[in-house]
Amino acid sequence: MSISIPELLVNDGFITPADQEKIKLFSERSGMSYTKIALNFGYISRKNYERSLTNAGFTFAPVREEAFDTEILKKIDLKFANDHIALPLRIENNKVVTLMSDPSNQLFIEFIRFTYDLEPHIIVARDLDITWLTHKLLGEKYVKASVFELLRRDPDSSASTTFTSPQLVTIFILISIIAIGLVLNFKNTSIIINVIVSLFFLIAIIFKLFLALIGSRFELHQAVTKTDVRNIMEDSLPVYTILLPVYKEDKLIKKLIWNLQSLDYPREQLDIKLLIEEDDDKTLQAVQNLDFPGVFEVIVVPFHMPKTKPKACNYGLHFSKGKYLTIYDAEDIPDTDQLKKVVALFAKLPQNYICIQSALNYFNRNENFLTRMFTLEYSYWFDYMLPGLDTLDIPIPLGGTSNHFKMDALIELGAWDPFNVTEDADLGVRAYAKGYKISIINSTTYEEANNEPINWIRQRSRWIKGYMQTYLVHMRNPAALVKKIGWRGFWGFNFFIGGTSATFLAYPLLLFIFISYLIFDFSTIRSLFPDWVLFMAIFNLMVGNILMIYINMMAVFKRRYFELILFAIANPVYWLMHSAAAYMGLYQLIVNPFYWEKTNHGLSKVNNPTNVIK
Amino acid sequence: MKFSKNQYLFILTLILGAYYLVIGIYLNHLGYYNQESIFYIEKTKIVFEGLGNRIKVMGLTSPLLPFYNTFIFSWINPYLAPVIASAIGTAVLFYIIASTLTKRIEDDFYLYVLLLLFFLHPGLLYTACSGKSIYMVLTFFFLFFFNLLKFYRSNTTFHVSLASICLVILIFCDYKFIWLTLFFVPLVLAITVQSLNLGEKESIFRLFLSFNSPSLRRKLINKTFAIYVILFILPLASVISYKLLNLTHANDLNYFIESPYATWNVLVDKLNFDIATTSANYQLPELSIMVSLRVIYFCPLILVAIYLFRESTYQALTILTPFAFIEFLHIKYDKVFLNYEYYLIFLILSLLCLVFKAQTVKRQMVFKVILSVVILIQLYTGYIFLSQSLITDEKRFITTLTTRKPNTDQEETMELADVINSLPKTSRVLMDDAVSYPIAAFTHDIQKLTLPYQDLFLSAIETPYRYNDYILIATAKNPFTGYTQLNNRYIPLIKVVNSGVNYQRVYETDNWILYRIVSTQ
Repeated sequence: MSISIPELLVNDGFITPADQEKIKLFSERSGMSYTKIALNFGYISRKNYERSLTNAGFTFAPVREEAFDTEILKKIDLKFANDHIALPLRIENNKVVTLMSDPSNQLFIEFIRFTYDLEPHIIVARDLDITWLTHKLLGEKYVKASVFELLRRDPDSSASTTFTSPQLVTIFILISIIAIGLVLNFKNTSIIINVIVSLFFLIAIIFKLFLALIGSRFELHQAVTKTDVRNIMEDSLPVYTILLPVYKEDKLIKKLIWNLQSLDYPREQLDIKLLIEEDDDKTLQAVQNLDFPGVFEVIVVPFHMPKTKPKACNYGLHFSKGKYLTIYDAEDIPDTDQLKKVVALFAKLPQNYICIQSALNYFNRNENFLTRMFTLEYSYWFDYMLPGLDTLDIPIPLGGTSNHFKMDALIELGAWDPFNVTEDADLGVRAYAKGYKISIINSTTYEEANNEPINWIRQRSRWIKGYMQTYLVHMRNPAALVKKIGWRGFWGFNFFIGGTSATFLAYPLLLFIFISYLIFDFSTIRSLFPDWVLFMAIFNLMVGNILMIYINMMAVFKRRYFELILFAIANPVYWLMHSAAAYMGLYQLIVNPFYWEKTNHGLSKVNNPTNVIK
Repeated sequence: MKFSKNQYLFILTLILGAYYLVIGIYLNHLGYYNQESIFYIEKTKIVFEGLGNRIKVMGLTSPLLPFYNTFIFSWINPYLAPVIASAIGTAVLFYIIASTLTKRIEDDFYLYVLLLLFFLHPGLLYTACSGKSIYMVLTFFFLFFFNLLKFYRSNTTFHVSLASICLVILIFCDYKFIWLTLFFVPLVLAITVQSLNLGEKESIFRLFLSFNSPSLRRKLINKTFAIYVILFILPLASVISYKLLNLTHANDLNYFIESPYATWNVLVDKLNFDIATTSANYQLPELSIMVSLRVIYFCPLILVAIYLFRESTYQALTILTPFAFIEFLHIKYDKVFLNYEYYLIFLILSLLCLVFKAQTVKRQMVFKVILSVVILIQLYTGYIFLSQSLITDEKRFITTLTTRKPNTDQEETMELADVINSLPKTSRVLMDDAVSYPIAAFTHDIQKLTLPYQDLFLSAIETPYRYNDYILIATAKNPFTGYTQLNNRYIPLIKVVNSGVNYQRVYETDNWILYRIVSTQ
């Protein structure tokens, strides 16, 4: 059968001659095979491709269980095989048994002949099956690098060790001092603890209000204007990598394609990688069954512990071709002009700015109480706090998605820490420590707010655990940290990364003391609060709560989500949920630090229209 | 070396601050004190040196924020702290207005006008050198309206929330400003209508349009409600919380505004009014309809300000709101004179309007001439208002300043304080600082005094001979005698309880008698 597959697809009417020409040119430029481009850049759906080949007499074999010879595999590079969706497996009957999605790919056939000095025996298979097998058989080197690269290059920044010995010693000494103090002089020790906690809360509250006000000052400031976006020449846009780490997100694949297709960026300049775990057949099947052309390349991440998102991203990084790179979650709906805005902003910013964080918000904010509270929190965090931190030049804990990196700088930093469950926040601090800067952009990505309490607590426990991990990693040597990020950054880091977890851990205890005092009027409790401590505690309770609620109100007011304003009053209840998650996170930090508490997406019943920016 | 405009302003502010300090300290040396500053001095002493329930004094003394501000400077000199605070505070107010002005208007003429006012206007001198809290009221009044006017232009959360925070601070500087919110209730609707994206320009038609379209109506209601919340929830929540604190610590929601232990003006205002309305040469108190006219007489610049904002109905209404506010105050607190402070807010407001709109006037020359004339008139009316004030503190200030003769108002209290100071260190004096706080303020060792903030005060009142060596009693002549238990009826009453104790007069003035408790058992 000597028919060329590209010709076949044109003859069958699945690809127009004009597109055919475009694909060929793109193939020459990029080194990717024709089929790879046709299937991954939105030219033809996998179903139609299969239909066309089946009609032409090809049969697609199930290949996952095919036998292989490691000596044969040694001679092929994963990237080359991946670009051509083809894989030589073994020698049989003096022929190289080769899996190919496009049996007419002459370049690869020539490669087989040249490398093995034998003719190929071609088995036609689905591209996703070949990709799965290719990564499984050839990906070990890359997946090991994804896991251990940071640990090898910069062990001090890796969270593979949760508590270092000096940290453990410090913690135990502190606990001992407190215990001894309580035994010797319960009252005074309690007062001292009380003073420290009250002072901490007081400073944290004032600091947060200050940050929010600083952040809100820039409400009208547009880092990138519409004119800036309009002035961008399409031809000058660089290749942009989008990593989409997914796990069991089969329900979201259709939505994902729709969202990606809405992005205002030249299709050929987009290098979109859908990172699927080796054991995630569901998602792989969902991609296979799509009725319309896919706009992303599937990368199968071979099995290796820890099974975390950063490990998948690190793996995907090996195959990324972009000058810039961003991460989206499967359910994300970025503003359609976000990538262009980022390109424009990077052009404006000094060289040492290596990352741009977009605001995150929720499309299903009015779904239930939880989504409303989540929206309040995110509006405040991304619209006020992060711009505030940015203005004050304090390390920004990056959000989980929509952080856009310069690829070379990301690689230089050692990419994400696979042992850290909030790898994004950690990377933000690491970037600052290396003298790099992060900026905020006036563009939003809409996500799906968690609408289910248990799922919410699981997700939040991972975040808080990650904050604890990040805090422990960077506080291994506080003096070195001060040297790297300065005092301002140091205190900012302590209040933000360390303080967040500490606040949520302390909150229910303080609330309990307060309620006990109100209900039972324990005189012992009163004796633990000398006048001025009581004054501070009352100030924290009253002013702190009011201010934190108010800041939340401000944030949704800015977003014009007027209907959510009053929900801010329910924040004290919402903070209790944070506390539950914080204790769960603390427990997991001790017993299972690298466990990735998976968040279930796709639970929302709210339609999510694309956020087209005109 | 070349200075930038901001540096010049800073230097000018320093000079102004020093000028105020010199006048303030000079007046202080002449013996000028007012009830408010003395009250702060006494409470600061209690907080730092007292023995007993200081948290109540610390948290419930009102107005809270000026009190705390005085606190900051008490380490320099507790008696000068209020004056230092007001001098620095007024200089800061000048800096805020001047820096806003120079950012918006290039022409230095307006800066000179501002300087002239701050250097010479008797009202502003009173604000700066008296040690009263007016400087804070004016500062946050200015910032509140400034942010509100900025919000009208920018429509940003930042400005509306800053306005709200300023309103909270304003209320905690003078609780009466809570009533200002009342007049913003209808105004917010006008603001929302204005901020809707409609083709129609005229306010009434905008309102008509928004009410007749379901989607616009929903938007209007949501936004109006949101602005109410964002503007008023902070003051509301703060006041409610503060009232709850009053309830838990003093068993009275309104303790901070109604108790003479918490605030200085409960008795002083009453006394001022009573004296003025019952004195032989009866002076006509302010008449309701006259208040706004008096404001215009005091500050004709406000007419210029309203003229400048004539094109925008809701902005002009915003400028008019304080008129409604003081008219309301006059009706609500009908037994109290309007303090000078409530006239001064119009001066500050008109300066704000100048800052915003002066550069938009086309005929600058004519405008400047009018402005100069108005300013000169204001300097005069400012003086007249002080010198003819029905409030003693205000009148005394200007007479002390102009005559530069020692003020003897506090002589009697200082005399008594000296007597107490001369008592042996271990002596304990029972007194009620609701009325005798000036004496307590001038007493060097506050621990000698048994005061109502202490838990043992009630027991001491019942059985003074057990806890104290001396009792300070208000005589029948003392104008505050009706407001304290320790008056001329107290000694006979206590003698009935325990006839085995004698009370010997140690020192006596017109308003006070100091008794020594002599046990005969």
